[in-house]
Amino acid sequence: MTHLHPERFGENARAALGDEVLRGALRKATGLFGRQRGAAVAEMPEWEALRERARAVKAEALASLDVQLERFEERATANGIQVRWARDATEACEQVKAIAERLGRPTIVKSKSMATEEIRLNEHLEQAGHRPVETDLGEWIIQLAGETPSHIIAPAIHKTKRQVGELFAEKLGIPRSEDERELTRAARRALRHSFATAELGITGANFAIAETGSILLIENEGNIRLATSMPRVLVALVGIEKVIPRLCDLQVFLRLLPRSGTGQRLTSYQSLISGPRAGSGDEGPEEMIVILLDNGRSSVLADNSLRESLACIRCGACLNACPVYRQIGGHAYGSVYAGPIGSVITPGLQGLEKTAELPFASSLCGACREVCPVKIDLPALLTRLRADVVEGRAPGQGQRPRRPRRIEKAAFAFWRWLASDPVRWTLSMRVARLAQRAGLDRLLPPARAWRKGRALRPFAPRSFRERWKEDDRRGR
Amino acid sequence: MSAREDILGRVRAALKGTVAIGAPGSPEVAAPTDLDSHAARVDAFRTRLAAAEGHLEVVADEAQAAAVLSEVVSQARAKRIAVSDAPLVAKLTRGLEGVELVDAADRAGLLAAEAGISCVQHAVAETGTLVLETHSERNRLVSLLPPLHVALLHADAILATLGDALAAVDPGGAGSASRAVTFISGPSRTADIELKLVVGVHGPRELTVLLIDPRTRENAP
Ligand code: SF4
Repeated sequence: MTHLHPERFGENARAALGDEVLRGALRKATGLFGRQRGAAVAEMPEWEALRERARAVKAEALASLDVQLERFEERATANGIQVRWARDATEACEQVKAIAERLGRPTIVKSKSMATEEIRLNEHLEQAGHRPVETDLGEWIIQLAGETPSHIIAPAIHKTKRQVGELFAEKLGIPRSEDERELTRAARRALRHSFATAELGITGANFAIAETGSILLIENEGNIRLATSMPRVLVALVGIEKVIPRLCDLQVFLRLLPRSGTGQRLTSYQSLISGPRAGSGDEGPEEMIVILLDNGRSSVLADNSLRESLACIRCGACLNACPVYRQIGGHAYGSVYAGPIGSVITPGLQGLEKTAELPFASSLCGACREVCPVKIDLPALLTRLRADVVEGRAPGQGQRPRRPRRIEKAAFAFWRWLASDPVRWTLSMRVARLAQRAGLDRLLPPARAWRKGRALRPFAPRSFRERWKEDDRRGR
Repeated sequence: MSAREDILGRVRAALKGTVAIGAPGSPEVAAPTDLDSHAARVDAFRTRLAAAEGHLEVVADEAQAAAVLSEVVSQARAKRIAVSDAPLVAKLTRGLEGVELVDAADRAGLLAAEAGISCVQHAVAETGTLVLETHSERNRLVSLLPPLHVALLHADAILATLGDALAAVDPGGAGSASRAVTFISGPSRTADIELKLVVGVHGPRELTVLLIDPRTRENAP
């Protein structure tokens, strides 16, 4: 995959800023989702209470995660589900590969899942000679094109109708079309064939319910329903943070999630799946396997402040609201998780070694916190990670610490010294003004580096304090 | 150490010193309260279903339902009709003429069917949602594969809220839910190409709900 390099955030972001098609599409998508969200939230007077409740349920689930996981395992097993555990991406991929191998060379249908993208399951399966087929329309388009998603809800948003038409003409051998209905019908036909012959279905899950041992999947297209109904074997890859205590908790999340993501009251489909078929008179898979994935989550859990980020329900609202994401899109973050939450969980899961730029990809305006349905304090978490970067700490455990940025520490110490004394402060502002006028701020090496991605506003000709004093003298 | 022991161990270590808390308050957060009466629920269901682009036909009894069903099917020019194994579906489709009925267990037949007919175990007024349980009938693919899904719904099955529906699919939280419960709000849809809404991507393009409500007769002029 070409884009998964968080350490190249700056480079990626610059490339994105030069891509007019991408920026136009992002403007449209984030604007539309944002407006629709606003309308959907406005008709819910109880919105704040729902958010509080959702946050409380997630906090409860995370604070008792071991108990919830054990309960889920016990109930799911009683329902006939095989529950497996995977410490990391490699283990999870190997487990799925072993299942595929056991089935011979099965047709594999996949539905969109962040967890499978996080562990790069497709690459892993392809290396072993399997050909998993993505079945979400957007995911399928980018799979055909050999690309990665640019938006959590609309993965192929960076592609125009014309590009999709050309892609389908080339890969499916159908006449070129620029009609979205025509193109969607072509996709339906092609993917129906995959579904009809599929022996293995691979999905993620939006929630795992401890009380009943079930998983819940949310979608609009119907491909998840197909992938969980038609193949003989179903594998669901579920991050350990997805578990919630009770079935009734779902009503809170079902009210919040679609409204936050796309502004829909509810998506077209929710599938609550509690086990394989119960005898020959039943429909659905004969065999169902749930893989519980850690892959860094327990380290995030160990970090008292970052723990909050595990409450994320992946609605995408913070991406749509983020002024940085709106400009650069998902590719720039170099991770499957983009936007404000991506800048928190990518360092959380991978450590700061390669992701140190991400916490700085934010203006800390707070728009993400405002829209988050589980009230994650994203700006606080970003600030905390920035401090980690500057001071060379590692979030969670098991990550190698970065070298402290001595110059940054020294700069803050100097600033503290200046700002803590009125005379020093006033003087320094005058010096800064003169220095800026002389263009010194562009010459000094640390300032030059800092200014590469930023524009500094010119200092005001007179400071507020100076104007106040003058006005005072004039007797105003 | 097994992956299971390892992960649970790490989780326990991570939570050391954390006070386990219960989520405060009732799970039903300020749910809509104006759905107490039957009429209000039917009304809200109608409005929300329409908003989700589903069609609604209200009939007073099964005889009327059979007549409307035959109209709906012939309007869609459906010749091959997939049927679930619910007794009501069998009863209402018995009189259909010039069509071939496809059994829910017949995979190839299902893939070629032009319409699918199933019952609905519950519905939700708050959202215009249908709730299908697999332990009542074979409804999973009948409601999904053909381009038209006709759902038969008894008015008494319309519940007020999502919370009520979740309680109904697993009474008492006892883990007795169907192996699969499907919640359906309108036809299948996508906006993955330039954000243009297209219905009928992987599932049905059209959803028609036949609501059997004896009270409509009493209210009729
Ligand atoms: S952090 Fe909040 S707003 Fe962002 S995706 Fe997660 S739940 Fe949604």
